[in-house]
Amino acid sequence: MRREVAWGLLVLLGLRVEGLPAAPQTFNTALPVAEDEFVFREQLLYLRATDDPGPADRELTVLGAVSVLGFGVTGRLAVFGLLPYLDKELELTTPTGDRITRDTTGVADAQFFARYTAYQKDAPGRTFRIATFLGLELPAGDDDDTDSLGTLPAPLQLGSGSTDPLGGVVVTWQTHDYQVDAQASYQINNEANGFEFGNVARLDASLQYRLWPRELGSGMPAFVYGVLEGNVIRQSENEIAGTEDADSGGTTFFLSPGVQYVTRRWIVEAIVQVPVGQDLNGMALEDDFAVRAGFRVKF
Amino acid sequence: MTTIERAAAALPAFAAAVLIALAWPAAADEPAVYELQADGLACPFCAYGIEKQLGGIEGVEAVATDVKSGTVTITMEPGATLDEADAERAVDRAGFTMRDFRRRERTE
Repeated sequence: MRREVAWGLLVLLGLRVEGLPAAPQTFNTALPVAEDEFVFREQLLYLRATDDPGPADRELTVLGAVSVLGFGVTGRLAVFGLLPYLDKELELTTPTGDRITRDTTGVADAQFFARYTAYQKDAPGRTFRIATFLGLELPAGDDDDTDSLGTLPAPLQLGSGSTDPLGGVVVTWQTHDYQVDAQASYQINNEANGFEFGNVARLDASLQYRLWPRELGSGMPAFVYGVLEGNVIRQSENEIAGTEDADSGGTTFFLSPGVQYVTRRWIVEAIVQVPVGQDLNGMALEDDFAVRAGFRVKF
Repeated sequence: MTTIERAAAALPAFAAAVLIALAWPAAADEPAVYELQADGLACPFCAYGIEKQLGGIEGVEAVATDVKSGTVTITMEPGATLDEADAERAVDRAGFTMRDFRRRERTE
């Protein structure tokens, strides 16, 4: 069981999407959502993790679509809802030598949070903002799914079964030529069904640099941004029936190149998350990569 | 002064009055155009909120943004005017800061 649980870290890290409707693709921004304005974002996800330090030779594949809807309550306050739909598949070799596959598909846990711009300094063609956000991850996903082998282990379930608070602060500096975002966040995971995921602390940073048009003309030209994002994600060990799982938790550092095509109403974007450093506990399964691609639209 | 001389003296004023009367309807129908600076605006995706907020003000016919200069041009329906306080409120609701609101002269 402990071994099966170990890759839960990966599942959590890979899918923790801060689905906010502006520039960074793997976390948040402090840029505004106008009052009475909606922003919808759809992000497709493909994640692979096959670097298994244990004998089970686990291979995890996650396919998903993460939908986010944001609404501007005022120019400074916005609320967001996030709902993932996931297909998780795990292949592993059992102690008897059989190669088996366990999988599940459906709606995963939802997130709801509010973001408030606490500080804003605007100047011609540039802005600096600091925003805080606070919310909950709600147990929308199935947490007692079964297959022919019985109940799926907690990390493979679509939902955690628990209600988990999250919050953080994000800073944005944007000019015509580039944008920098940085975020610190924390999520407290609570116990459900005798299982508790470790709490998650994150530090994220993003640089978006305008590649086209090289010279900014008049009117409202579309922008093409080159993107480089970094995520340092630290998760505590999971607990099973109150006991820490030594094969869970650890720190992962993702470096992620990407691209964005930005128009007045639409953004089309893609990014590849590459784990350049993984310091995981015990036999936790390590990431290979994650690809995210999608669009955002305002209305 | 004879009658003819009096008529000749009044002719320029009469002509001016006729010209004004002819020109007045066209001037009244010409829509008012305003310009404002939206500080903090630096990318196309953010401009949509400003244009939507300003476009929601009664009497606004069209809104166009120049992202490089941060200038937002608001064209009103014929006979309508734009209050500066309404424009500032709209830009604030979009999450930005208004500066330098002015009505564009017809010769511009």
